[in-house]
Amino acid sequence: MLKYLVVLLDDTSVSYCHYENQKTERKLIALEDLQAGILFAMKQNLMIQFVYPDYELPQEYKDAIHSIDHANIVPASLTKDADVVVVDGLTDENPEEYQGASAVVFRVQKDELFANYKCLIPFLEKLERLNVVITDVETFSDDDLQTYQALLSDLSEVVESEYTKCHAVQFNLLTDRMMLSAMNNCNAGDENITLVSDGKFYVCPAFYQAETATTIENKAQSIGDLKSGLNVRNPQLYKLSHAPICRNCDANQCKRCVWLNRKMTLEVNTPSHEQCIVAHTERNVSRNLLQNIRKHGVFMPEIEIKEIAYLDPFENKEEWQ
Amino acid sequence: MSIKTNSEAWQSGIAKNITFIVTKDCQLACKYCYLVGKNIKERMSWNVAKQAIDYILDHEEDFREESVIWDFIGGEPFLEIDLIDKICDYIKVELFRRNHHWFNSYRFSFSTNGINYHEDKVQRFIAKNRDHLSIGITIDGTERKHDLNRIYKTPEMEAGIAPAPEDEKGSYKDVVRNIPLWLSQFPNAGTKVTISSADIPYIKESVLHLFDLGIHEVNINCVFEDVWTEGDDVKFEEQLMQLADAIIDGKLYENNACSFFTENMGKPLDCVLENQNWCGAGKMLSVDAAGNFYPCTRFAQYSLRDKKAWIIGNVRDGIDKNKLRPFLTLDRCTQSTQECIDCEVGSGCAWCQGENYDAAETPTIYQRSTAICKMHKARVRANNYYWNKLYRKLELEGEREAFESNKKKSNDVIC
Repeated sequence: MLKYLVVLLDDTSVSYCHYENQKTERKLIALEDLQAGILFAMKQNLMIQFVYPDYELPQEYKDAIHSIDHANIVPASLTKDADVVVVDGLTDENPEEYQGASAVVFRVQKDELFANYKCLIPFLEKLERLNVVITDVETFSDDDLQTYQALLSDLSEVVESEYTKCHAVQFNLLTDRMMLSAMNNCNAGDENITLVSDGKFYVCPAFYQAETATTIENKAQSIGDLKSGLNVRNPQLYKLSHAPICRNCDANQCKRCVWLNRKMTLEVNTPSHEQCIVAHTERNVSRNLLQNIRKHGVFMPEIEIKEIAYLDPFENKEEWQ
Repeated sequence: MSIKTNSEAWQSGIAKNITFIVTKDCQLACKYCYLVGKNIKERMSWNVAKQAIDYILDHEEDFREESVIWDFIGGEPFLEIDLIDKICDYIKVELFRRNHHWFNSYRFSFSTNGINYHEDKVQRFIAKNRDHLSIGITIDGTERKHDLNRIYKTPEMEAGIAPAPEDEKGSYKDVVRNIPLWLSQFPNAGTKVTISSADIPYIKESVLHLFDLGIHEVNINCVFEDVWTEGDDVKFEEQLMQLADAIIDGKLYENNACSFFTENMGKPLDCVLENQNWCGAGKMLSVDAAGNFYPCTRFAQYSLRDKKAWIIGNVRDGIDKNKLRPFLTLDRCTQSTQECIDCEVGSGCAWCQGENYDAAETPTIYQRSTAICKMHKARVRANNYYWNKLYRKLELEGEREAFESNKKKSNDVIC
């Protein structure tokens, strides 16, 4: 069931996820389309997330945005009124600069994360929620996992320490799985859709901003527009029930990115090996973190993260096929 | 008393099927052919073939199946008999040299239109590889049924101009002359018959004709493409019932098998216990002249009407295993409509993953085409009639018990 509408205010709106925005020319959404999108969200009872470019919007746009309850996702260069601040790369800036936001997203490449992950520690100590999005998940090799596991284990000690100080920081790579008893994925195409500057809907921002053609399609495919409404074809494929690997998985914090799925496996419902092993490494370190926090007292007793012998549920498919 | 059933394919279920698309050319231009992009230009080079074999044999750990079927298709594969001969020689030498686990557990398999079956080069190849060969010649039945669809290509067709009906030249005579030679070399060989809308009135006479020719196994199926018109299911059912009568009344079931009549089809299926995919795409491997790998030939561009080719790698970079994951985790219910899941006669209802992909609303293999639905239901009704009539006959003749104790599992045609 649809719950969220993401609105890209401009073609150059910041990417807050795995993909790189390929669009470099500014193209602001028409004011009437913005207003129509807001009306659509009101009628469909959707929560709106506005995604901002790195320049100031005209006043009439601000007025329109102000007319509905919403969340603002903004680039680090514009933190005013931000609910979510997106930072490209790791930074040694003062975390207090972002304390007005409810969450900070760091978009980072694997190698930079491996080299500079300690930059995250002050943010874990000061902020309420931190998301790290690896922008080249598809390049993860099995050899990278040891490095990734080691850095997550390092960071989990910081998180554990914060919990003992009654600062229950949320860190997507480590604490989300601890809190979840069921899958809680991105769910683009099922629970959320994206409105872009041409008045059309897309499955998610990546389906518009990251590509024109793919190996399997000649052009980016919209899923409807403001005039004729939504038209999601094969909508069942965006649901967990129709994702054979994912419905047999308990890496509940995994984004289950349908755009990465399609890029890597050509199917929106099938994750790549790389997405699975990264998510399971996070899951397993989260399991250790949960056990370590429980050494300090009772914590989330209803959550159980089982020990498992695989990092990719595909390799365990004889058990569920 | 015996009843012949369709044979299991060699090493069925435990053999890897590797297909070389050696040419996209063919002497014929069959009207129902799903290969919409046939051409005379794309012929496999020896270099590409060798690279494909080397890649496959170099990665023995990724090909753990007990046996292998090296399949050669086109177009018409025997147009490239020189290349095929070289490929097969190389495979045999390399399997031996590497002490590969497929050594002595391999087959070379061909589906041919049969036109140049008698030629010296083809016959020399057959003599050389006789113990490791399976060859199927496609003949659609009587001359009028065969020539309805299986006509010669004309130069004008290359330019997209269809010949006038009176200018069409059928291939029946050039194929049927080779049937005795073929059957003398492969006495248990079967033929594959494809049924499209226009063929329905000729089903009975065609199957009986093939039995008369000495072809005792007729593997027959309706095309999966959406070609069916209103009332086709009724006509199809009538034809099958007439065929059933002829087979039973003539006691032809003792020596002949037609895959349209298969015991234990047309039952409801369980989404947990009977959830396996029908099609073997993804477990197979195809390679074309460009050196691209596909999960099945039907995913190569020349097989697709509306979609882009589903390439899973190439002979230089190898196979991208991520692109096989959707195939290897695909199950029946996830790709089926609720109507199919709830169908009371679902068992035996086939699908082709490539056609599903080609017909799907989005580029996915997870949307099952239901174009064949009415035809399957008609087949189920006729099939029920066949078995009820046959059982009763056997009972009245006191042979039912012997039949039950001797019967084999039948082999349904997939594609």
